[in-house]
Amino acid sequence: MKTQSILSLGLVLGTAFFAGCATDPHYVQTGDKEQIVSVGQINIQDYANAANDAVNQLLASGALDKVSSPPAVLYISHIVNSTGQQIETDLITGKISKALMDSGKAVTTSTDPANKGLKQESDFLNDTKSTRLPDFTLSGKIIETIDRQGDTRRSTYTFQLALNDTKTGYQVWQGEKEIGKQGTRSAIGF
Amino acid sequence: MKIRLLISLVGLLALAGCSTTVNSVENAQPIGQRQMVSDKRVLTDSSLDRKVTIVGVNQTTTAGGLLKVQIELENRTRSLQRFLYHFEWFDANGMQVENVLSASLPEQIEGMESKFISGIAPNSQCKDFRVKFIESN
Repeated sequence: MKTQSILSLGLVLGTAFFAGCATDPHYVQTGDKEQIVSVGQINIQDYANAANDAVNQLLASGALDKVSSPPAVLYISHIVNSTGQQIETDLITGKISKALMDSGKAVTTSTDPANKGLKQESDFLNDTKSTRLPDFTLSGKIIETIDRQGDTRRSTYTFQLALNDTKTGYQVWQGEKEIGKQGTRSAIGF
Repeated sequence: MKIRLLISLVGLLALAGCSTTVNSVENAQPIGQRQMVSDKRVLTDSSLDRKVTIVGVNQTTTAGGLLKVQIELENRTRSLQRFLYHFEWFDANGMQVENVLSASLPEQIEGMESKFISGIAPNSQCKDFRVKFIESN
């Protein structure tokens, strides 16, 4: 009888313990305190962090302010993925592009084929050729470096971005952000 | 008695192993003069405030006319502290300006280290700011 009571109490306490640990599905914000940090991959908050740093550096440099007729026209070029994982580079270029447009310092060329077609038609109907060529191109590279020592693993993701002047061919600004993450074998599950 | 001494020694060694503090040097008469901002602080996490303290806030305007804010922080503990922060920006009417880059950013500061974090306003209409800090895991 006594054993049964102890077992029942254990069962109740165990259930209560696991119920306390369970988390119902809920919405989260990027970069909040609950964020998941993965050592072997780029997390969503890393893109936000890299984009934030790039925009701050670019706006502080004043490189976009040097065009003769602001805002500068920017062509978002290729971001080379030198990591071992599949990356949606629009997650960083999209943020940078929007932030620069919101700042009033730059507009980006449209990548929408329908827009290009309509622009050509408009030029033809008006007998004009009003397209302004981009002042700058924005290109970049994402590099992954992995270090291991015993059970400890460290991944460093380097986001390099460059602003190139289309008239001179010079690179007029370069930004770099390193994001490092470290964990032990037991903590990161491999 | 011996056991107590041994425990104390182990405790001291453990604490020494965890603490990493920072030494620094700078020019005694800085040339640059910071334009300090009179700030208002709302402290709800006294634990974080005791560990990572806001020393001061200064601001400037970039060549492109954007407000740039810099905050000096100091870790008053002897161990590394991690926290998240994010900037909020407001226009001349006090309305919050939407910012695609408003996510919280992770930062860390070594024991007894003094460190700066900075933010640039998303556009020239931004006149005021607020920075939120939260202790990280």
